[in-house]
Amino acid sequence: MKHLPKHIRPRWRYLAVGIESTPDATIDRGAFQRELWYAAGNLLGDPGSADVDLTVYIFQFEDGCGEAIVRVRRGETDRGRAAVACLSEVDGEPVGVVVRGISGTVRACEESYLGRRTGAFEQRQVVFADAQRSAFSREDAVEVSVPAGFVSATELDFE
Amino acid sequence: MTEHYESVTAYPDGSSTVSRYAKTAANYGYDGIVVRTRDADYDAEAIAREYDVDVVSGIEIVAETPDSIAGSVGNFRENCTLLLVRGGTNARNRYAVETDRVDVLTQPMAGDGNFNHVLARAAKIHGVRIEFDFGPVLRQTGGKRVQALRDLRKLRELVEYYETPYVVSASPTTHLWLRAPRELIAVGEQIGFSASQITEGLVEWGRLAERNRERADESFIEPGVTRGKYETE
Repeated sequence: MKHLPKHIRPRWRYLAVGIESTPDATIDRGAFQRELWYAAGNLLGDPGSADVDLTVYIFQFEDGCGEAIVRVRRGETDRGRAAVACLSEVDGEPVGVVVRGISGTVRACEESYLGRRTGAFEQRQVVFADAQRSAFSREDAVEVSVPAGFVSATELDFE
Repeated sequence: MTEHYESVTAYPDGSSTVSRYAKTAANYGYDGIVVRTRDADYDAEAIAREYDVDVVSGIEIVAETPDSIAGSVGNFRENCTLLLVRGGTNARNRYAVETDRVDVLTQPMAGDGNFNHVLARAAKIHGVRIEFDFGPVLRQTGGKRVQALRDLRKLRELVEYYETPYVVSASPTTHLWLRAPRELIAVGEQIGFSASQITEGLVEWGRLAERNRERADESFIEPGVTRGKYETE
C-alpha cells in the first residue's frame, strides 16, 4: 500500500528499556514481546494496549543482561511506561526492567541510551553463607549459585 | 529536593543482598533503601560510600497474633530505625495502628485483612504509616490482581478522607523487582493514584527514617528540644 503522507503518519516515541535477569535465563525477542503485550493487555485492556502499541524494535539479551527499544505512540508514553513496569517474569524467569530514557527516533534512542553492555560473566568460587559456592561475577555484581537458585550480591559482600 | 526511598526484603528472606539492592536502587534514582529483614547482614557505611545510597535498618515483624507482635515490638524497637508490622488480619491491623511504637503497618489488605474508618483514624492519631503495597499490582495477574486493585482503592479512599499518613512500596523480594520511582508513578496513575501521592509515599520512608534517627540521637530530649552547648551532665 502506498505510504501515508508525512503530516498524517502516526508520531512515535521510543523507550530505551534496560533488562536484567538471572545468569542462566535465555530470553528472546519473541518471548519478551509476548510478555510485554500480555502486561499491557492486563493493565490497560485491549483498547489501551492497542493505543500504546509497544512494538519491540531492537532487542538483545545475553548473560542475564540486555536492552531493548520499545515503540509507543506519542502522548502515550506514561501508559507505555506503566505497562513496561508490570513486566515481572519472562518464561518463568524474574526480570528487572527500567526505562532508561525516551527519544523521538530509534537512532537518537540508540545513541543516547543503549550500548551500555558490560562484559561476559567470569566464573569463580566464593565463600557465601558458610560454604564454598560457585558464582558468576561481572564488574561488581556477583550471582552466587545456591541450592534454591541464585542469590544476587556484590563484591561488598565478600570483603 | 525530594528523596525517594524504597523498602526491600533482603537475603536471607529475599534473594538479593542489601548491597545489590543498593546498587540497583542507585541506578534507578533512589536516594535510600529501607531493609525490612532482621537477619540481613550488611555494612551500611560501606554501601553508602560505594553506591551513595542511604541504607536504613528496619525490622518487619511477621507474627501470628497481637500478643506475639507485642513481644517483638518490645524486643526489636531499640535495634532498628524503622519498625514495621505485617498486617493481613483484622487483629494484627488493629494492634499495629493503635501502637505508638510501630512506624509502619505493611500489607494491611493481604489475606483476610481489611481496613475501615476506625483503623484509619487510629493510625492517624498514633502516627502509624499505612503501606500501599504495589507488589500484587506489578507481579500478579487475573483475579488476584483485581482483588489487590480493589483493596488498594478502598484503602486509598479511606486514607484520603481521614488524611492518614502512608508509604508506598513495590515490596520487592529480589533486586529484579525493584521499579524506578517514575515507573511506580506511571503505574499509580493508571490505577487511580495521583503522581504526587506516589511521590509522597516514597518520600515518607526517608522522612520517617530521619525523624527516628533524630530521636535516637543522644542530644534529643523531646521534639523541638535538644541538648545545647550550655547543657552539661
